[in-house]
Amino acid sequence: MKEVKVEVIGTEPPCMRCQATRKAVEKAAEKLKQAGVMVNIEKANIMSKEIVQKYGILVSPAIAINNTVKIMGRVPSPEEVEKLIMEAAK
Amino acid sequence: MEEKTKRAIRTGVILAFIIVVIGLLIYSRIVAYSMAPQSKPVDLRPLPLWEIPIVYLIDYFSHGTICLLFAFTVAGLIYEFVPKEAITKYMGSSKAVGYGLALAMAPFLTVCSCTMVPLFGGVLYAGAGIGPAITFLLMAPASNILTILLTGEMISWEVAGVRIIASATTALAAGIIISKTPWGKAVEKEHQIANAASASAKVEIVKPSLDERLWAALKFAGYLAKQILPFFILGLIVVSYVEAFLPEDIVGTYLTGVTGILIASVLGGPLYTPTLVEVVLGKAMWDLGMSKGALLSWLMGQPYDVANAMAVSRIAKWKVVATYFIIAWAGSVTFGLMYGMLSGSL
Repeated sequence: MKEVKVEVIGTEPPCMRCQATRKAVEKAAEKLKQAGVMVNIEKANIMSKEIVQKYGILVSPAIAINNTVKIMGRVPSPEEVEKLIMEAAK
Repeated sequence: MEEKTKRAIRTGVILAFIIVVIGLLIYSRIVAYSMAPQSKPVDLRPLPLWEIPIVYLIDYFSHGTICLLFAFTVAGLIYEFVPKEAITKYMGSSKAVGYGLALAMAPFLTVCSCTMVPLFGGVLYAGAGIGPAITFLLMAPASNILTILLTGEMISWEVAGVRIIASATTALAAGIIISKTPWGKAVEKEHQIANAASASAKVEIVKPSLDERLWAALKFAGYLAKQILPFFILGLIVVSYVEAFLPEDIVGTYLTGVTGILIASVLGGPLYTPTLVEVVLGKAMWDLGMSKGALLSWLMGQPYDVANAMAVSRIAKWKVVATYFIIAWAGSVTFGLMYGMLSGSL
């Protein structure tokens, strides 16, 4: 099983778009589980010191795949998230 | 059908929609179709109380729908296509760039209000300085793209332009001043994290295809509309009563001249108005005789409302909040006076 870490970075408490982003990632994760890719979803607070130390200033919602921020400031479709995770899983 | 052709068709359809929206706006300008409600107090006053808001709302939407449609569409497009990574990549590089970015990007980034305080925090934590963070915080509500477009369409482009200049100057001044105060510096020190990411390595934003971006822009515009319109309509209902019942002589006495500017600056600030309502309320008061100077002061009150202040005080402590409150208020009064005198409408 391939493993990919996906961080969903948003506000705390999550705004509507942050929630929509997490749902998109969860949907993609569901599909990918069947394709043999294990997605570890981590929720992160965009204002936490850890995130700023790691990535700097981000616009929420943001998605980081295997420690690289790939999407920032918009809500992606589950298909797009799937594609990105698959690429990272190679 | 081939993927590429499907993409091209989608892009074409979305672009066509956008061109129609822009075209409608330009057309309305050419035929001098007014974007603002035409009801005068004398039309509204004799109506039964429950009917006043209905008439006003119908009036507003029969004139102002194109303008709202245009404003939300443009806001969505700009938000999607503005390179948000610029904040991540360049904010920390130098103070001048920090201030420049804060002024340039705040109008476009914060149409979605949930990102404003996190971005403020982010700028602070990443070590870009409390100055640019404060500048960003004050510039955003004052000059956000939606509010400027509506100001331009409903009131005048002159007022919209002056609003931008006045807000930018005030925001910049507040940022610079606060960054020099001891309590500002203390907050900066407290929050700055040693080795905050220099940002280039770990951020590789993926750019989707053009049709996906256009569609995302429109979806975002719809989201904004869903968020903003309900409270906007509530605000319009209040405005309809103001328009009907606020006596013109009270407006003449209290909302013109230096008194007017002072009162407007105090009213416009702490009083929390839902997004865009301050423009409609401003227009109503202007119709009733408010002076240009007081109108500007009123409009500039956006950044110092209580809700904002409370969220920020958790990060930056009350001394910084109090300082920017005072600077923003002073800016509102100063520019109100200057604009009033220069435009002959003090």
